[in-house]
Amino acid sequence: MVAIMAKPVEQTAYDDLVVLAKTQADALGRLYELYYDRIFRFCVHRLFNRTTAEDVTSSVFLTVARTMRDFKGRTEQDFRSWIYTIAANQANAHIRKTMRRKRLMGNVTGRRWAEDENVDDLAPRDDPEWSRLDWPAVYAAIQELKPEHQTVLTLRFFENMDYDEIGRVVHARPATIRVMLHRTLRHLQEVLRSDS
Amino acid sequence: MFETEHDFRKLVSGLKIDVEPNPAHRERLHRQMLQVFKQQGVSSLKSEVSRGSPTLPTSHFKLPISYLAVAAVLVIAATLGVWSLVGRGPATFHQVRLATQRMPWLYAVVSRYQAGEVHTERHWYNFAAQKAYAVMDDGSLVSWDFAGSKKLAYSPRLKALTISDLWAPGVGTGSTENLQGVFAVFAAQDDVGGSTAQYDGKAMESFAIEKAESGLSVGGKAVSLLRATAFADPQTKRFVAASIEYQGSGGILAREEWVLSYPQSGPASLGDLGLPASTAVDDRTRQRIGTPSDEPTPISTPAPTSGFRLAPLEIRLPKPMFVGTPQDARTPNLEQPRGSPRPPFLAPVGTKNVALGKPVSSSEEPVIGSLSAITDGDKEATDGSFVELSPGPQYVTIDLQERCEIYAVLVWHYHQWPRTYLDVVVQVSDDRTFKTGVKTIFNNDTNDTLGLGAGRDLSYVETYEGKLLEGKGTQGRYVRLFSNGNTHDDLNHYIEVEVYGRPLH
Repeated sequence: MVAIMAKPVEQTAYDDLVVLAKTQADALGRLYELYYDRIFRFCVHRLFNRTTAEDVTSSVFLTVARTMRDFKGRTEQDFRSWIYTIAANQANAHIRKTMRRKRLMGNVTGRRWAEDENVDDLAPRDDPEWSRLDWPAVYAAIQELKPEHQTVLTLRFFENMDYDEIGRVVHARPATIRVMLHRTLRHLQEVLRSDS
Repeated sequence: MFETEHDFRKLVSGLKIDVEPNPAHRERLHRQMLQVFKQQGVSSLKSEVSRGSPTLPTSHFKLPISYLAVAAVLVIAATLGVWSLVGRGPATFHQVRLATQRMPWLYAVVSRYQAGEVHTERHWYNFAAQKAYAVMDDGSLVSWDFAGSKKLAYSPRLKALTISDLWAPGVGTGSTENLQGVFAVFAAQDDVGGSTAQYDGKAMESFAIEKAESGLSVGGKAVSLLRATAFADPQTKRFVAASIEYQGSGGILAREEWVLSYPQSGPASLGDLGLPASTAVDDRTRQRIGTPSDEPTPISTPAPTSGFRLAPLEIRLPKPMFVGTPQDARTPNLEQPRGSPRPPFLAPVGTKNVALGKPVSSSEEPVIGSLSAITDGDKEATDGSFVELSPGPQYVTIDLQERCEIYAVLVWHYHQWPRTYLDVVVQVSDDRTFKTGVKTIFNNDTNDTLGLGAGRDLSYVETYEGKLLEGKGTQGRYVRLFSNGNTHDDLNHYIEVEVYGRPLH
């Protein structure tokens, strides 16, 4: 909260678009074009499966369509925080409800990245330094985290958001996010060490 | 293995994840989404048509804030009207209308947010006499006499009072008349109801409208969408607040928050609102083109006529410690610096600082200083004059030792350097634990960090003038002030808090 408020609201060229999108379908369509890739990418990083990510992306944008007229924000920054919040909640709800991700992660950890199509998406680069890393173990450890912590991890390291923006998405103070990330990474280290 | 956040970032960047979207899915979802959006729009439109919408005036609202404020009253009235036409839901509108109309006075404190500035107005409406009065934050005074079709406006800059004809009668031409007019039009409607919504921590009856092309303008820009929500207390059956949003094509043009109360008395003339006795009067209602015999006749300045009188608060200010508003004190939702001294704040005669020397308690023991410094009258930003509380959310509570009617709370957190205190919330209650009967008079905790409800007030930079918060005539014994660190550090500070009010005997 402290850092959130210490940072001025950024004005972007799309602020007007956000306001128009509350009443005009064309404007909403343009917002969709701006955000589809980002939300889909977030969902892929969050769920590790393209098909599931498409499902969740669909429910995110349909939720936006249903509730856009009541959206209280007025800037693109408001909209960005809002839509990522929806995406994070939808992804978490999906994970909790179906536990499908657990199975997918089981596939990943069980088959490594040789056999499964999804795993192939996650294969590291052909770099000797990276080839030594045990990716499935890392993912298995991530899987054990609370969904909210996974969300923060994804927003930070895959979406490259700063603490302020993550705070706006998950409704927490930047300082809290910083501490949460620190503890999450430490927890991951401990899990990986104990596994090894 | 990674050791630091940087290592983990490198680890992640080594991933080759296919995030290229499927064009077919993108296209299909695009169509679905717009279809859903349009269906939502159609259902909203049907709902709007089924209610019917009163016509708002177009010609009279071209800016002066008072006109917009009057328009806002019209919106509240229109809200009542729209809901009365709906004719469904619980039969509460009838009770609300009668209870509101029955009161001798309606007092409204209007906070208007526009282009980073906040303006405050105070209005009194006398339903029986068909008169209304307003005090603007620049010292301007206005009165509307709807029965006599006259408007009086005092400009402190010109030091002159102008009397002019009021707009032609009819719905949309004046605040009091509007309210009465709408009440009369819909007097036969007994089965009107709204929905239930939370306001100030209580469940209230809520009445809402959304109207496109209102015919209003703000700052020269047309209002394309006007949203209004009015809240009524289910116990007293009277309106207690309203929120109005003016949207233009480029976004939100202005927003108003109305807090309504029902005092037993009010002004009977502009003289009661502090109109200087020596004010020059320009009576334009007497001038007629082409009739030389109708020269304006000098008239006297209206004199105080009732026991209700307002006078400027006498506030002793400490020594200024800095000039301007540095960037590092800026926050989102920040009130723009006024750039000039604060205008006089008018309060009923007899209003004083009822917090002076009163006991203070806090959420935690102070890190530095004594709590008694908060009400000792010393507002200087020097070492030893302030109290420092721990980081994070903290509060202090002032016990006024008797119930008071509060018109203003003046707070100096710390003004040695410019900074903005975060999540500032000020509440009044008769319960020392603040579990019951809590009334919030200021709240800029916009994301509800404190869990007291999301506020909509603006953040502000600390200055030697302190922050004057409208008390809105709130009654209570205890005043509690929350904060959650500041833009400089996570600590909380108080130099002085003054509570201007009158004891209720």
